[in-house]
Amino acid sequence: MKKVLVVDDEPFILMIIEDKLTKAGYKVITKRTTTDIIDCIKSDKPDLLILDWVLPGKSGIDICNEIKQNPEISSIPIFMLTAKGHEADEELGFKCGVEHYITKPFSPKALLHLIEDMIGKP
Amino acid sequence: MNNKNNNNVEQLKKDLRLTVEELSDAYEEISLLYHLSQTFTGLTIDQICDILLDEVEKMLDVKTVAVMLRDEDKNEAYTAVSTGLWPSDMIFTKDDNIIWNNTEKNRTRIFNNIKDTPYGNLLPGINAIFICPLIGKQKSIGTIITGEKNSGEEFSSHDIKFLMAISSQAALAIENASLHQELENFFLGTVTAFVKAIESRTLWTYGHSERVTKYSIAIAHELGKDIHFIEKLRICALLHDIGKIATPIEILDKNGDLTNDESIELDQHSLTGSVILGDLKPFKDIIDGIRYHHEKWDGKGVHEKLKGKGIPLMARIISVADSFDAMTSDRPYRKKMSIDQAIKEIVKHSGRQFDPGIVKAFMKIKDSLLPFASNV
Repeated sequence: MKKVLVVDDEPFILMIIEDKLTKAGYKVITKRTTTDIIDCIKSDKPDLLILDWVLPGKSGIDICNEIKQNPEISSIPIFMLTAKGHEADEELGFKCGVEHYITKPFSPKALLHLIEDMIGKP
Repeated sequence: MNNKNNNNVEQLKKDLRLTVEELSDAYEEISLLYHLSQTFTGLTIDQICDILLDEVEKMLDVKTVAVMLRDEDKNEAYTAVSTGLWPSDMIFTKDDNIIWNNTEKNRTRIFNNIKDTPYGNLLPGINAIFICPLIGKQKSIGTIITGEKNSGEEFSSHDIKFLMAISSQAALAIENASLHQELENFFLGTVTAFVKAIESRTLWTYGHSERVTKYSIAIAHELGKDIHFIEKLRICALLHDIGKIATPIEILDKNGDLTNDESIELDQHSLTGSVILGDLKPFKDIIDGIRYHHEKWDGKGVHEKLKGKGIPLMARIISVADSFDAMTSDRPYRKKMSIDQAIKEIVKHSGRQFDPGIVKAFMKIKDSLLPFASNV
């Protein structure tokens, strides 16, 4: 079963994504903080990371940079999820190796399709 | 006791699951409305109606959707777009039944079993309809009608909330687009009136600017130019001879060759035109199109002797259209040429007077221009 790690500090966003993906058959791990994301990726080996841009402590971009600089986990695809909707921000995200940039509010249905396209069906 | 607790926990879990499902649906809608409000900006009424229709059909999963708009002058509501069983030419007059009344009174109406009402024959084959007004800033501008869900279910409060939300967004966008359209029509009307006033000075050029506009737009379409370019080109072509307002009538009407001084005076019209419109700073490309429409591809034109692609595209297009119309129209000092002859002249001067790329496009569409040509 394919695994998706979702990191967002807004609980209802986590609930919505978890509900949608779980029903579609994915295993979903949710986190509200950035504390042990790197360890989690190493141990749970998720197939995809959905990451909020603005998080308490580190920013999503910081995490993204850390992941891409760590050869052990750098291959994980990342979707950046954020309310920032400016082109300049998108550029920054893509430079860090983000695969898709999803602006809130997003369509859970469309997100599911993007995930299926990226990592395949569960 | 344990069993009771377990049951409570199960119930809570179930409730939570349902709440999350509702939350997810609501979020889906918020996302759609948010993106639609951005998408609607700058679109035409038809485009807004098309998107509205698609989204409602998709979200509510219904058999029929129709967007009716009010025509205040005719006192009727007409079908702007529709799908499914709704006849695309359906119109309701003021005396007509529910559609007009609800449009008028800004009322939302749901008939889950319309057959049992006096409106049973409204749409044969459709059991349930949902009527939602499109309310603009001050008044209703129309209504959206959806007929029967594919699942056969009744319309829910969830459907109502969604349709009302999307309708109010669309209504504001339609209202804005309509104001924009009115302003644009007024602007174009003013420009056309202006052009007619200039052309009325001499019979020889009557209708010239409108024909040049038609030819220029046809060439631009062939070149694959977008709507924004074409709309600017329309204004530019309509106004390309505006500078002739300052050309003495004796020169415009002269029955014979122009003297050197007179030619220079006549040539001034493109510069004069750009000066007259000089204060319209946001329309620099239109002004340049007018200013340079007598430049030549080989750099041997009038005034600044711009060359090749250094001449703005609008000016290069108008140059071909202008010459074709001039050659196929009578002038006080000569008779018009035949269309075939004029086309040969255009081809002959391709690469010298005219941009070869424009001439190529002109040759592809020349037959479609014939009905408008002056000497047909």
